[in-house]
Amino acid sequence: MKIEKTISNWGNFPKLKASEYLFENLHKTQGILEAEESVLARGNGRCYGDAALNNAVVSTLSLKHFLSFDETEGTLTCEAGVLFSDILNLVVPKGFFLPVTPGTKFITVGGAIAADVHGKNHHKDGCFSEFVTQLKLVIDTGETIICSRTENTTLFWETIGGMGLTGIIVEATFQLKRIANSYIYVESIKAKNLTEIMALFEASEDWTYTVAWIDCLQKGKHIGRSILMRGEHARPEQLSNKQQKEPFKLSPTKAIKIPFNFPRFVLNTLSVKAFNWLYYNKQTPKTIKKVTHFEPFFYPLDSLLEWNRIYGKSGFIQYQFVIPKGVGKEALQDILQTIAKSNQGSFLAVLKLFGKNNPKAYNSFPIEGYTLALDFKVNKKLYKLVPELDAIVLKYKGRIYRAKDSLSNARLLDYVKVHNTKFNSVQNRRINKATP
Amino acid sequence: MIILGANSEIAREFTELMLQKQSFVTVYLLSSNAEQLVTFKKHLEVKYKTEVKIIPFDLMGQIKLDFSAMEYNLVFSAAGYLGDTEAGVIAKTEDMSRIMAINYSGLVHFLNAVANDLLEKENGTIICISSVAGERGRQSNFIYGSAKAGITAYLSGLRNFLYKKNIHVMTVKPGFMDTKMTRGMDLPGPLTINPKKAAHLIYSGYKKKKNTIYISGIWRLIMFVIRNIPEIIFKKLSL
Repeated sequence: MKIEKTISNWGNFPKLKASEYLFENLHKTQGILEAEESVLARGNGRCYGDAALNNAVVSTLSLKHFLSFDETEGTLTCEAGVLFSDILNLVVPKGFFLPVTPGTKFITVGGAIAADVHGKNHHKDGCFSEFVTQLKLVIDTGETIICSRTENTTLFWETIGGMGLTGIIVEATFQLKRIANSYIYVESIKAKNLTEIMALFEASEDWTYTVAWIDCLQKGKHIGRSILMRGEHARPEQLSNKQQKEPFKLSPTKAIKIPFNFPRFVLNTLSVKAFNWLYYNKQTPKTIKKVTHFEPFFYPLDSLLEWNRIYGKSGFIQYQFVIPKGVGKEALQDILQTIAKSNQGSFLAVLKLFGKNNPKAYNSFPIEGYTLALDFKVNKKLYKLVPELDAIVLKYKGRIYRAKDSLSNARLLDYVKVHNTKFNSVQNRRINKATP
Repeated sequence: MIILGANSEIAREFTELMLQKQSFVTVYLLSSNAEQLVTFKKHLEVKYKTEVKIIPFDLMGQIKLDFSAMEYNLVFSAAGYLGDTEAGVIAKTEDMSRIMAINYSGLVHFLNAVANDLLEKENGTIICISSVAGERGRQSNFIYGSAKAGITAYLSGLRNFLYKKNIHVMTVKPGFMDTKMTRGMDLPGPLTINPKKAAHLIYSGYKKKKNTIYISGIWRLIMFVIRNIPEIIFKKLSL
């Protein structure tokens, strides 16, 4: 049965009136495919922009079952609506971890494959798809197709990063990573400017996890002021006595919920500036070394449930691009200057150096180079800023992450190639319309 | 642990919660639609490393289960059938026997068989989902309501009968619940509970050995009011 409701992704922008079905069984799904002009699978709605939005969506949140877990090999098979958080709860106590994880654990497995998510270890391990061995897909005819690296390979690679446009992912098998405990050894290093942070990334290539927080309101010689965080799964002897008592501990802190949408004035250039100043200056030494639980390291914002409400009712966008490594410095300089000039503050802008891409996963967003993810509150000025940023990314031959986009130039997004008409999204129609 | 009506969301949430709280040698999942239980069985096996057995079972038919061979001390029934209600029709004949069997007569046969076996085993708990609909017959669903009234009366008698034998019976009376069945219905938010929260309330009632619980508690008050409306007024209402 379908219900009519307004849906939007994590940024609460844009909003769409849609028919939402719940995935029940194959027979009913066939009926939906026949009845609707186009269909799109939708997981937990943790992407941004107009990805995962369509006039008719099939929610996969009912597909929440684990199907098998081989604890010697570390292979897991589950339905597509299982959340990363459910997986962590199951596998961490048994000494396993997600091979790749984005900055939130509230995403579904289906969504992770459709967007081919990346994490802080991209330069070492690549995207999530590197660990996916098999998936089950319901295609336009209503049939279920099993695809893997050896079977129906074309469809397999088309679906990886295919933004749900090849069908409904209902099940997946993937390889987990073995860990000795729940803790991460982290070094946080302050960088005064762009040259410093880029040198730090290069010097940290051997670290499993690297990411930087960057203050994008800085101008002139301070441009690129940032803090690099690099981490490794902690060795047993690095743990404190307390940590050793419970080596595979789950969630150490209780989550807090943001109770309502913040009024518009809360977030302005001044408050972002103050926040960024505090964030940078609360760390006084150049380098801090500590052993922390994986939660605050990977999911700093997940302990603030519904944190998107901070941006108020009108919502926000995420702007994430990647530019080839060779032109990294000029491009970042141009972009950071443009942002600082616009005075559109972004909390916790995140910078990362991607490693080489897997050419087989041709729909995946990452290419070797620098990626920067920014949040912007939705307002009038944004419609001027985004094209300016797009022009720079285009000039340096970069691209934009589809899982986050809503306003960018289609030429930055047309790297995703999928041949299908039954499965479609608001985003895909927007991009196709602009690039005939 | 025996779970009857194992395809319902409340049964599934309760089963998972119980497995998180304590361990069971075997979980028996009973449903008339056994095929649909396969993924849930796998899920429980992966997550809780427990043995799960699926038993196809229909309350419309004869009870042919040998409970003495089963290892359990907790029985949870979420069996229920609301029926295909249609405005201006009392009930469709074929639907009526189904409503009566699943909510009352078949269920009584089942619970009797279980109770007899638990008497042999000399301890155990029976948790059965009835409904607030059984507290007063209303024009909108009184076949269902009367069957629920019957099962509520049966459960209170059974509780009384088993009290000295170390077997506890808990009656659960849900109000509105947000499930697959009620998806898209316009239910009043503050009075509606999701299956996960309901499972937690049932679990806490079970731990405290409650006799009858309402989910949620506000329904105790609502039903008190509804029960006490004089019939002369009640018969004129369209509830």
